[in-house]
Amino acid sequence: MEEQELTYTQAVTELEDLVKKMQDPECSIDNLSEYTKRSKELLDVCRKRLTATDEALKTILQDIEGAQ
Amino acid sequence: MPTLFDDQMSQAMTLSAFNARIKKNINNQADLQYQWVQAETSDVQVRRGHCYMELIEKNPDTGATVAKTQAVAWASVFAALNAKFHHVTGQQFASGMKVMVCVSANFHEQYGLKLVVTDIYPEFTLGDMERQRREILDRLAREGVIDMNKTLPWPLVPQRIAVISAAGAAGYGDFMNQLAHNAYGLQFYTCLFTAMMQGANTVPSVLAALDRINAHIDLFDCVVVIRGGGATSDLNSFDNYDLAAVIAQFPIPVIVGIGHERDVTVLDYVASVRVKTPTAAAELLIQRGTDALSHLTDLSNAIVASAREMLAHSREQLAYYSSLLPAAARRVLDTSRLRLEGYARTIPLTVAGRIATERTHLQHHGERVVVAAGQHMERQRLRLEALSDKVELLSPRNILNRGYSLTMCHGRYITSADQLNPGDTITVHLKQGRARAIVAESKC
Repeated sequence: MEEQELTYTQAVTELEDLVKKMQDPECSIDNLSEYTKRSKELLDVCRKRLTATDEALKTILQDIEGAQ
Repeated sequence: MPTLFDDQMSQAMTLSAFNARIKKNINNQADLQYQWVQAETSDVQVRRGHCYMELIEKNPDTGATVAKTQAVAWASVFAALNAKFHHVTGQQFASGMKVMVCVSANFHEQYGLKLVVTDIYPEFTLGDMERQRREILDRLAREGVIDMNKTLPWPLVPQRIAVISAAGAAGYGDFMNQLAHNAYGLQFYTCLFTAMMQGANTVPSVLAALDRINAHIDLFDCVVVIRGGGATSDLNSFDNYDLAAVIAQFPIPVIVGIGHERDVTVLDYVASVRVKTPTAAAELLIQRGTDALSHLTDLSNAIVASAREMLAHSREQLAYYSSLLPAAARRVLDTSRLRLEGYARTIPLTVAGRIATERTHLQHHGERVVVAAGQHMERQRLRLEALSDKVELLSPRNILNRGYSLTMCHGRYITSADQLNPGDTITVHLKQGRARAIVAESKC
């Protein structure tokens, strides 16, 4: 549910942040599993946003175009 | 006798004869031939290759027409003339342009006066267009709005696009095709806001479309204004202050793709991005999408690499510690044993030392107690002696020895006369013996 509310920009920002944390030499291996899991979720959200069709948005725009 | 009327009749000439006279005067007049003239074009129409127009002059302050004449460029010269004009200005010869043309006055008995255009100096038009454009841009700069759209931040991936175009335009088709068939599976959401993209109504029509987009502004990431694909027609209407001002201040980025390579309008200066063709506009949007996709791939790779590196590092660390462990354990055992042996050696010595010290302390204290007790006894003895001397000095006997006597009555010592009444028997104690006496009188 939470992912639905994330904007693409927010998701990418969080991803960049995670990468930075993981590249930090101080990063504990205890966080590794949590970080990779979250990264995967965020990558999926972003890719989906770019390539999957948002039918609701499509309909709204068609309505606006048709109303002219 | 001919009447005046008949006389006039006989003198009156036919219109054709009169027009022939005009024609002769005008067409042979040297300073009406091949004269360069500055004018503005109006009502330009091309029929069977001939270009008919009106040349007008307006009062620059009021805009009122102060001169107007029909003109024509015959097909034989118009083709070359138009090509030359287009080559320099990037525009087709059209209405509403300031032109410098070489004309000859030509009067025809049947068609009247026309100026025949034989040559054109396109640089004049170009200069005028440029001057107009410069004036608009200067004004926008003065008003502080010229860079507003250009400096708007772009969303990471513009996917929701408001398109302003003529409905059936080839350019619009190219744009839509390009977006829909991008090779990366990127999704774009377009909404067409139709507008007339040429002719006199271009500006109000595009302004109205922008207004409709503004009503749904939250639904869009950017606006794309496109035209073209067909024949290049006049772009003059896009060099318009009102339109440029609205685009400059539009709340989301605007991409302008209305001309071809050589056509530059003021909109190109105020829009966030200028592209040459509708196809280029689509390519730009797709490029933003693929940039985002490859950024995601980079991030994904970085995550995998970091995770691998962390695991490898941890494994290495583990191996290092496990190699250290036996030696470390042995060292801990050795250290402990040594420490234990040390304790074992030190304990007896410590105990003996401690006992000796305490004994010395004890002796020392014993001696101090004896000395202190002796001193105390002596002090008490001296004090007693002093007291005993004092007691001796103060004893009643000593007092009686010195001649004082002690008087008693009814068993009480008498110290005052008012303790006695006349007739009382008193006993007087002396150093030697005592005497009884009767009080004769008492007085204080």
